[in-house]
Amino acid sequence: MTLGFTLPDRFGSQALGGCYAPETLLQPLLDLEAAFRSALDDPAYRAELKGELRHFVGRPTPLTPAPRLAAQLGLKALFLKREDLTHTGAHKINNALAQALLAKRMGKHEIIAETGAGQHGVATAAACARLGLSCTVYMGVTDMARQAPNVARMRLFGAKVEPVEAGQGTLKEAVNEALRAWAARCDRAHYILGSALGPHPFPTLVRTFQTVIGEEARAQILEQAGALPEVVIACAGGGSNGLGLLVPFLGDTLKRIAVEAGGHGPDLGEHAARLDGGRMGVLHGCKTLLLQDDHGHTAETASISAGLDYPALGPELAALILDGQVEVRRASDEEALSGARLLCQAEGILPALESSHALALLPTLAAEGAATVLLGLSGRGDKDLSTYQSRSGL
Amino acid sequence: MNPLLPFLMAGDPSLEALPQLLAEAKALGLEAVELGLPHSDPIADGPVLQAAAHRAIQRGATPRRVLQSLAGITDSPDVVLFTYLNPLLQLGAAELKRLLAPTPVRALLVVDLPFGEEPAFEAELRAAGYPMVPLLAPTTTLDRARQILAERPDPGPGAPFAQRFAYVVARLGVTGTGQGLDLKPVSERVADLLRMTSRPLAVGFGLSDPRSLTAIRRLGATPVIGSALVQELAGGHGLREVLAPRLVDDL
Ligand SMILES: Cc1ncc(COP(=O)(O)O)c(C=O)c1O
Repeated sequence: MTLGFTLPDRFGSQALGGCYAPETLLQPLLDLEAAFRSALDDPAYRAELKGELRHFVGRPTPLTPAPRLAAQLGLKALFLKREDLTHTGAHKINNALAQALLAKRMGKHEIIAETGAGQHGVATAAACARLGLSCTVYMGVTDMARQAPNVARMRLFGAKVEPVEAGQGTLKEAVNEALRAWAARCDRAHYILGSALGPHPFPTLVRTFQTVIGEEARAQILEQAGALPEVVIACAGGGSNGLGLLVPFLGDTLKRIAVEAGGHGPDLGEHAARLDGGRMGVLHGCKTLLLQDDHGHTAETASISAGLDYPALGPELAALILDGQVEVRRASDEEALSGARLLCQAEGILPALESSHALALLPTLAAEGAATVLLGLSGRGDKDLSTYQSRSGL
Repeated sequence: MNPLLPFLMAGDPSLEALPQLLAEAKALGLEAVELGLPHSDPIADGPVLQAAAHRAIQRGATPRRVLQSLAGITDSPDVVLFTYLNPLLQLGAAELKRLLAPTPVRALLVVDLPFGEEPAFEAELRAAGYPMVPLLAPTTTLDRARQILAERPDPGPGAPFAQRFAYVVARLGVTGTGQGLDLKPVSERVADLLRMTSRPLAVGFGLSDPRSLTAIRRLGATPVIGSALVQELAGGHGLREVLAPRLVDDL
């Protein structure tokens, strides 16, 4: 017998994903899947979402050619998919808004969210303000300190930001606390998970709401360049902007790359590169590649970017990587900072630290002979100014 | 009927204290205890058990050490191992069975393992004498409850309480003492379930004072005392001292 879900809940040859949730959350997850399916089938929901993405979020986002940076690196052409130009400044709003509309349809007027970099928290707070929903965001205390502008933005939008003291005070602990809060209030609250993680149906739901990135980008590059690029590349925390950009290119013959956070060293606890030292495990409701110790306890992680500082890779992206559809690379903290400097100086665009991990790989791709690259610029770097200042001696 | 199901966190106050705690529970006439395996990310636990798990991990209570410290213990009620899935998956079924064999563990309560998600793992453990305890939450519909009880079946009246009971979660949320649990919804839930099954029921989450424990017994179910006990033990109180007054009905 099965749990009663109707959408596929496992990914790839190793059947990653699943629904490893406490019993209290099973019925809410079943209800969420049903609501998601009915919303996708409902022209009124699709029209409302499309309208909001256009008029509130600012979609379609531009595909910006970056000729100076391309020339400097020895690439023939470089295109940036500008999620940094969305309202609130990162791809997170695509999912947050779509889920907030879904919650409203379900009659749930209380929203719970977790956030790492604060971009998902800000996006959720903005969507809730716009739709008249109440919003509580759980955020680790370390992240609150390093992404302080986003904490202020959430509060301005009327959200309650709940500091999470436990553990390292980063995204993992924020997800723990959000799951607990949802279990206590699941009769009236919807949990807007911010990445392609967690128990089914969240990974599928989030990926579905993010593929607008790749769908737009694919059409735009065909129109602007007349051909597909050789490489499509994005950074990967939980994997939502990565899947959003890469999934629409799965049928194409080109190189798809996800970049993980290499942190400041190769040992467990010094990075968030799940492909280097991660083993199959279960965290936050799904089975996937997980950084963990010999006892099955989740390992500590480190990254200069709060949004990539998470011990598990979303199950669908992990499956695509293990099955050879997506290649994985890593960029260290220092390399990410150099990546950001490259873009700032050559093109006048300040990227988020997360997105800078993808930028950091550009010199390597050029050295490997790539000619045309499409890069997912997942967010803008205003939230990271203090890190850029202190680490670049500005 | 088993009057009380206490919950202990392995390694808190210490692993060395565990044999004595189990012996005291046995001397009180209890049929079973739940023993928590400390986990790094206890998503179904409130602040008291989170803190206890954290202390236990700091003191080195790894899953392997916990199970090794239970080896050879016979002066104990049956132990229900309360745990999250990942540590068990990392040990693997074969190694887990080997570690469990010399212990008083008779069943597993895996908080984040719904039936059907790891069928081979679950079947192998059940065949070896370690069935998974069915969990029923306030959000579980009666249809789902019927399905869960069928998927994790009653081994029958000959089997001990630890292998037969279903765990009824008394309220939404996570473990913890909470305040003023409204007993009405759980009373109705227990009545519905008793019409559905002849297996014993335990009711937990948010219970601690003698009056609510008595109220659960009056429904025909075994109350679980968790966070309140763990907190008292961490504060230096004895198991007998905390539990004895809670075994007599408060009328
Ligand atoms: C700008 C930006 N990019 C990327 C990420 C990483 O998340 P994901 O892998 O889900 O896209 C985050 C997360 O906070 C982010 O804020």
